[in-house]
Amino acid sequence: MTEAIYVQLLYLACGAFLLTGVLVLWRRDLSAIIRLFALQGLALGALILVLAAYQRDLALALVGVGVGGLRAGLLPYVMRRALAAAGAHRETRPLVNAATSLLVAAVLAMLAYAISRPLTQLAPGPTIRAVPVALTVLLVGFFVLVTRRRALSQVVGFLLMDNAITATAFLTTSGVPLVVELGVSLDVLLAVLVLYTLTDRIRASFGGTDLDELRELHD
Amino acid sequence: MAGVVLQVVLVGLGSPLLVGVMRQVRARLEGRAGAGIWQPWRDLRKLMRRQPITPAGTGWMFRAAPLLLPGTALVVASVVPLVTTASPLDGVADLFAVTALLTLGSVALALAGLDTGTAFGGMGASREVTVLALVEPTILLSVFALSVPAGSTNLGDIVTAAAEHPLSLISPVSLLAAVALVIVSIAETGRIPVDNPATHLELTMIHEAMTLEYAGLDLALIEWASAMRLSLLLGLLAGLFAPWGIATAGAGPLALLVAAVVIALKVTVLGGLLAASEVFMAKLRLFRIPELLAGSFLMALLAVAASYFLA
Amino acid sequence: MTASLVTAPIVVPLLSAAGYAVFGWNRRTAWLGAVAAAGLLVGAALLAAGTRGGAVLAALGLLRADALSAYMLIVIGVVALPAMLAGPAYLAAEAAAGHVSPAAARRYGMLTQMFLAAMALAVLAANLGLVWVAVEATTIVTAFLVGHRHTREATEAAWKYVVICSVGIGLALLGVVLVYFAALHAGLSEAQGLDLAMLTERATGLDPGVTRLAVLLLVLGFGTKAGLAPMHAWLPDAHSQAPAPVSALMSGVLLSVAFYAILRVKVIADQALGPDFARVLLVVAALGSLAVAAALLLAQRDYKRLLAYSSIEHMGLLALGAAVGDALALAAVLLHVLGHGLAKSVLFLGAGHIQHAVGSSRISALGGLLARAPLLGGTFGLGLLALLGLPPFSLFASELGIARAGFPSGLGWAVVVAFTLMLVIVAAVGRHARLMLLGPAPAVAAEPGIRVPRAVAGSLVAALAVCVLLGVTTAPLDGLLRSAAAIATGAAP
Repeated sequence: MTEAIYVQLLYLACGAFLLTGVLVLWRRDLSAIIRLFALQGLALGALILVLAAYQRDLALALVGVGVGGLRAGLLPYVMRRALAAAGAHRETRPLVNAATSLLVAAVLAMLAYAISRPLTQLAPGPTIRAVPVALTVLLVGFFVLVTRRRALSQVVGFLLMDNAITATAFLTTSGVPLVVELGVSLDVLLAVLVLYTLTDRIRASFGGTDLDELRELHD
Repeated sequence: MAGVVLQVVLVGLGSPLLVGVMRQVRARLEGRAGAGIWQPWRDLRKLMRRQPITPAGTGWMFRAAPLLLPGTALVVASVVPLVTTASPLDGVADLFAVTALLTLGSVALALAGLDTGTAFGGMGASREVTVLALVEPTILLSVFALSVPAGSTNLGDIVTAAAEHPLSLISPVSLLAAVALVIVSIAETGRIPVDNPATHLELTMIHEAMTLEYAGLDLALIEWASAMRLSLLLGLLAGLFAPWGIATAGAGPLALLVAAVVIALKVTVLGGLLAASEVFMAKLRLFRIPELLAGSFLMALLAVAASYFLA
Repeated sequence: MTASLVTAPIVVPLLSAAGYAVFGWNRRTAWLGAVAAAGLLVGAALLAAGTRGGAVLAALGLLRADALSAYMLIVIGVVALPAMLAGPAYLAAEAAAGHVSPAAARRYGMLTQMFLAAMALAVLAANLGLVWVAVEATTIVTAFLVGHRHTREATEAAWKYVVICSVGIGLALLGVVLVYFAALHAGLSEAQGLDLAMLTERATGLDPGVTRLAVLLLVLGFGTKAGLAPMHAWLPDAHSQAPAPVSALMSGVLLSVAFYAILRVKVIADQALGPDFARVLLVVAALGSLAVAAALLLAQRDYKRLLAYSSIEHMGLLALGAAVGDALALAAVLLHVLGHGLAKSVLFLGAGHIQHAVGSSRISALGGLLARAPLLGGTFGLGLLALLGLPPFSLFASELGIARAGFPSGLGWAVVVAFTLMLVIVAAVGRHARLMLLGPAPAVAAEPGIRVPRAVAGSLVAALAVCVLLGVTTAPLDGLLRSAAAIATGAAP
């Protein structure tokens, strides 16, 4: 693979990663949001595979397949199950409307660029230059988490953040050591399962997954 | 020079045909026979024979708009790289100038709509300006993002650079810019899902509300200009994201002819796709349009950001 | 021998968890948890002796025990023991009230043991990434413990807990990634890139720009788990809704374990960036936490939430001590960790019994507790006194230590602000304590007296006694405290 094509493919994967992340802000339909999340998982897997192909690293390629499988297959599957059980298919009344969220995302992109300055200065290179993309998705995920009122949207926000962190890890260092990578993936999977169970319980005890209903505890 | 003349003629004569093709595609997909692709020309001919009347109390703005709108469209047609990148007005082929010219036309029409003093005219104008306020920055930003790799805001240079490095077209920059430009082109030309050119429903119409008071030759000019703007924007999309076949400076007459055929084909295909997609789409509710446009603005901004980060 | 001692604190609770998984929760296995906790404590004490000569590696270099880890293990053991002793009584009461099925009891046994194992792993991990994994594992394990009661409140608390903590800890993961990035560029190999000892040794070579960002994220992330402001919102809910023994563990040690991670990060940050960067972060977090605690304690109406906010206060104090950062301050911080763990576990266990008896966690529902149940009221009152930092409890000594170290280090102003806020807290808690404890028993006290099982009563009294003992003399821990503080200041490897 030549340098030019490698960089081109890498950035294309990053672009898809960013686009899917931002589109989550736009859609209200929860099943569409989950579909976007699955696409983002694919983009992330592709990103790792491109890195692996360039570095001719079989282990990295396997990690890429694993990460892609987890984030494009297993996690969306769990969320679709939760959605089917929950019955509510739309994000109602987000705290910030879609138009404003999209403009906020633009500001977040600038912020991400500013934050990643030290990294780009330390090691300028094609992969490091893509780090702002990952950080933008991180901030967008955080924004989704804070402003959405459905349990499932919050889970997606959390997972967007996690995808972004994983992307950062692979862009900066081609991944953390394997033990940590395994631990991280396991933890994420378990966290989603825990949240899945809790969504179930919220529905059982509050009669819906609208988190505005959660106001038993306050000072 | 010959290329530019060819280009202007092509846009001027071909635009109503493009509208005809799009209507025909829709009609066939909806199971109707359709009026044939020449119907827009027949409509224009009919309107041109009729007497233009101006409502009482309207000022010079109302009379100027039907001239300004096609005028700006023709100037844009002479500078945008559709058939050839070598325009004698090369200095004007700047992205900012082109956007400003298109905006000038839109603003003229909006003011004319206000000038009539009717409820529909004012409503259409206010909606048009709302859309415009989000569309123009988006066009600017997305073409600007594409101009960063070329190192120039001259449209001819951008298209030439893209034709020379086709690989750069599969980058996140052009991906994001393409999405943004497609959305704003739809909005700017008043197509579904932003506006429906086929209805005069007061709840939703934008473009049609402003032209309600026009008749005869004036209406013909406005309809013609709208068709030209549609084909110009589609041509710009085709030129920016599929720049193959466009004649460069110093190309012979044969190359120009080939380029003309190619651009006509590209625009027809794009128009056909647009019409086909309209069949499957519902019009957005008016208050969700800013959402769509804010989305396209974000895409354009991200495209600019990406063109700097990932360069 | 010492190498197997390093793995023991993780393996023993895991075995006990397996025991619960196989045999379920019944009269015979009920005390298994307490046995495992005692085993953990003994192992920690042996490890403290074993690490006197320096750090010990185990499990292919993934685990590493030094004086600081050993000390933290002792804290875990000391708090876990009374909490585990209280477990059977708690479950019996819940079962009597019809809240707990055998499956839920089995899950409770398994999860509490896994919780202990995860905390032990967090303090023993030699690798920053592994520390992260362990801390996140504590979140996952405790999520169901917080939501154990299946009520609306418990479910809500569990949701907030998992979401906020997972996000915070996600930020810490980004910090870990950035540290690794900086380490690779400082010439460390891939195997050493996250190794805490190697990072500390080579910290001066880390790129300051990236490290600054990483440290910020790590402090913010682990600070979320430690209940430091501004990411403390989950804490009062989770701690007040969890079963009493779990609250004791979460408040008493889990917060400190997360704080331990911050201490480790701080050592690296001080070497790489100079002491000022981490100091500023910690002072902001400390004063913020104290202010939040003071504001919300004033008008608190729920005694379990009162205890939770008091945990935020004490975490703020720890952060202040860490910000001061010399050997005296850190020794005081470590002593404070132990003292707070003891006092908090006494209070949460007591609160659990009070809640069972009264059926409400509102302060106004109590009154005349001393008259109604002298033993429970007495230990609860003494626990509150300990928490407020009155002599002779060890928290007095440690708070004094932090203050004394603060003035010469140039953070005198912060100490003054902190102690002013603590005066407010003392006044607030004192007023609530008077309402709860003193006064005549209410007329409705026709209810049967609040009875506390012997094992629990014994452990409450013992914990308070240890707290007093440490306040009088720290002699048995002197050596360990000194070497642990030396590690936390970066003076010793």
